[in-house]
Amino acid sequence: MRHQSDRLGLAFLTPALIFVVLFFLSPVVLTAVFSFTTMSTATGISGGTYRITPSAVRSAAEKGLNPATAERLSQERYTIDDDALTRATKAGIDAEILKELERDLKGKSTDDRRSFERLLKKLDNRPNRRQVKSISPHFRTSILNQSFEDRTTLDATLENLGLDAAERARVAETSYTGWIWTSANFRRMFLQPDTYRILINTIVYVFTTLVIFNTGYAMVLAIVTFYLPGRQATVYRTIWFLPRITPPVIYVLLWKWLAWDTGFISTITGWFGVASRNWMLDTSLNAWVFVVLINGFVGASMGMIIFSSAIKTIPESLFHASAVDGAYRWQQVRHIILPQLRWPILFLTTYQTLSLLSSFELIFLATNGGPGSATEVWSLAAFHLALSNYAGNLQYGLGAAFALILVLIGITASLFYLRLFKFSEMISKPRIEH
Amino acid sequence: MRIVLDAVTKQFGAVKAIDDVTLEIVDGELLALLGPSGCGKTTTLFAICGIHRIDSGRILFGDLEVSGLPPQRRSVGVVFQSFALYPHMSVSENIGFPLQVRKESKAEIERKVDEVADLVHIRELLERRPAQLSGGQQQRVAIARAIVRRPDILLLDEPLANLDAKLRLEMRSELRRLQKETGITAVIVTHDQVEAMSMSDRIVIMDDGRILQIGTPDEMYHRPSNKFVAGFIGNPPISFADGKVEDGRFVTEGLDFDLPDRIKKASVTAGQNITLGVRPEYLQPDFATPIEAEITFIENQGREALYDLTLAGGHVFRSIQSGEPICKLGDKIRWGIDADASFFFDDQGKRI
Repeated sequence: MRHQSDRLGLAFLTPALIFVVLFFLSPVVLTAVFSFTTMSTATGISGGTYRITPSAVRSAAEKGLNPATAERLSQERYTIDDDALTRATKAGIDAEILKELERDLKGKSTDDRRSFERLLKKLDNRPNRRQVKSISPHFRTSILNQSFEDRTTLDATLENLGLDAAERARVAETSYTGWIWTSANFRRMFLQPDTYRILINTIVYVFTTLVIFNTGYAMVLAIVTFYLPGRQATVYRTIWFLPRITPPVIYVLLWKWLAWDTGFISTITGWFGVASRNWMLDTSLNAWVFVVLINGFVGASMGMIIFSSAIKTIPESLFHASAVDGAYRWQQVRHIILPQLRWPILFLTTYQTLSLLSSFELIFLATNGGPGSATEVWSLAAFHLALSNYAGNLQYGLGAAFALILVLIGITASLFYLRLFKFSEMISKPRIEH
Repeated sequence: MRIVLDAVTKQFGAVKAIDDVTLEIVDGELLALLGPSGCGKTTTLFAICGIHRIDSGRILFGDLEVSGLPPQRRSVGVVFQSFALYPHMSVSENIGFPLQVRKESKAEIERKVDEVADLVHIRELLERRPAQLSGGQQQRVAIARAIVRRPDILLLDEPLANLDAKLRLEMRSELRRLQKETGITAVIVTHDQVEAMSMSDRIVIMDDGRILQIGTPDEMYHRPSNKFVAGFIGNPPISFADGKVEDGRFVTEGLDFDLPDRIKKASVTAGQNITLGVRPEYLQPDFATPIEAEITFIENQGREALYDLTLAGGHVFRSIQSGEPICKLGDKIRWGIDADASFFFDDQGKRI
């Protein structure tokens, strides 16, 4: 009986589990996987080929490939061997000429096209100028700009050129056009000075918005509306809820209209002789003020709702008791309301930290990280790197590395908050008893 | 301190919760506000402490009119029905809260908290949280918090309703002891007449927002001003029978006896509707005015037995007698009423 009901529970859970794995877990896992690759627009996300370009040879040389070997790789060679003869035969080159080449010059090779063609001209069946030009490509054995489908083919060719295993590996590494596993994304991330700028931006953005608006102002709104008469409180709450129910694009557009150089602020200040300008993108301080306001006005409404309902769960008798005990409103707020709001404050701080860390759509719409990269925050940077690179080369791997760091910061922040607010203590006993 | 309510009215929308209540609470007494739920007794209490603003009338603490003052500025201590302890504070913080918000010094708060904790016997609980206390302990903490700053008046809203039966008995005498020891003027709101009778100096019976009678428990029991009071006070309750006055006699179906002289002297006219009220102890086997009935219910409470007597006309009277039951269900008996000690009410419900 018990076992049956256990299975039933599992059956009920299955759809949820599938969704969790599919839409929550797998994106995180894939982000982690991508962050350890060199994936970009150039490499694609499927496998690549081996292509020995001049730059691949150059970078192999930089990484310690013997210069002589590198020289050999870049050079064209003309070799008279069975392969080349077969190719030429198939291409319909005069059989007499080929026969003579096979007989007299087989195994010979020259370093450039001219000496090879000189050899041709010395043949008994001397080909004419046009024939010479058509014969020589078939005997060219340079691997420069050649593509190899897989490592084995590449290795065979390189071995023919006399490269040893270490040299072959080095060339393979630099000539591969697909993505490879690497930890270079993280190294690059930590070495770039930009990263620290973005990190500081993120901390400033999250902290300011969270403290001033998402919790601070939300708390003020909740407490003020708690003490306001019913209808006034409803009107007030509704007004503050508008930013949240407005579509983000329209909401930000309204802010842009407000701040444009022909917008509301400029028009008003224009009457007083101030030169019109884009108030949002004028200076980085202005940009920050707008970014925090835009996010804060949306965030405050959620906190207001949560705090308001939490205050409403405090038994009315506690307010009566504190009033007859002599506590005025401010003392009631300090001694009765705030201590009872520890759990909602924790919830909101955690939730809003994570949501501020990961959401960038309002900043993207408002300043897109500008002016310069003054308001470029971590998640926006990840987005820009991976999906909206100005130069056109989308660096999926590096972007994923940025995103992965964000996930780690998020988890660390949650654990920190849980400790700070003594979560285990809070769930052990009921906070409000009647 | 003497507390006076002068023609106090409080309305919630169209409903008059308190209707023209005038009441004087004497310094040092324990007054009980008694009545069924919805009678306005708690509203009266909340009007005294200032949680409810009154619509008309005056409330005086001594000579000071407090009608317009918020609760913070009235010197009242209140024990709420739910105790309303602050869940996030320790017991000592709870008790010290009224002092803390008045910015008294730490040492002073500690001294007063200790003192009052001794008074209500919770010295060893001071570090606990309310959630770690039993109902009776929470009750004591609530009382300590209410009296720690020596208010002019102590108000208790159904203080025993949330306790179990045994604890209720214990706290009843404990509350009385505290009130006597501190000499504080106190008002207790209750719907339980036994509580009111056993604890208070005087009782105010309210119904429908109005005061029906003010008096000592003894007066309430023996000289109820009307039928409602007579019915509300007394356990087991009084039995009523509607009848008529005929030729100086009380007549109803199955009962017919000579009215006592004091009733005859009062202006009762023949044919007038009149109600008889007999308390269970005034219906005994050997009392003078005979009553013939059938025993329809017996409740043996050990020390005493309770009988329901159904008359031929269908009226039911109750009798309480000490000792084991002396008859059994269905017995036809002929017992008696003490007509002199019984009440008679006119058709307005007023006692004659």
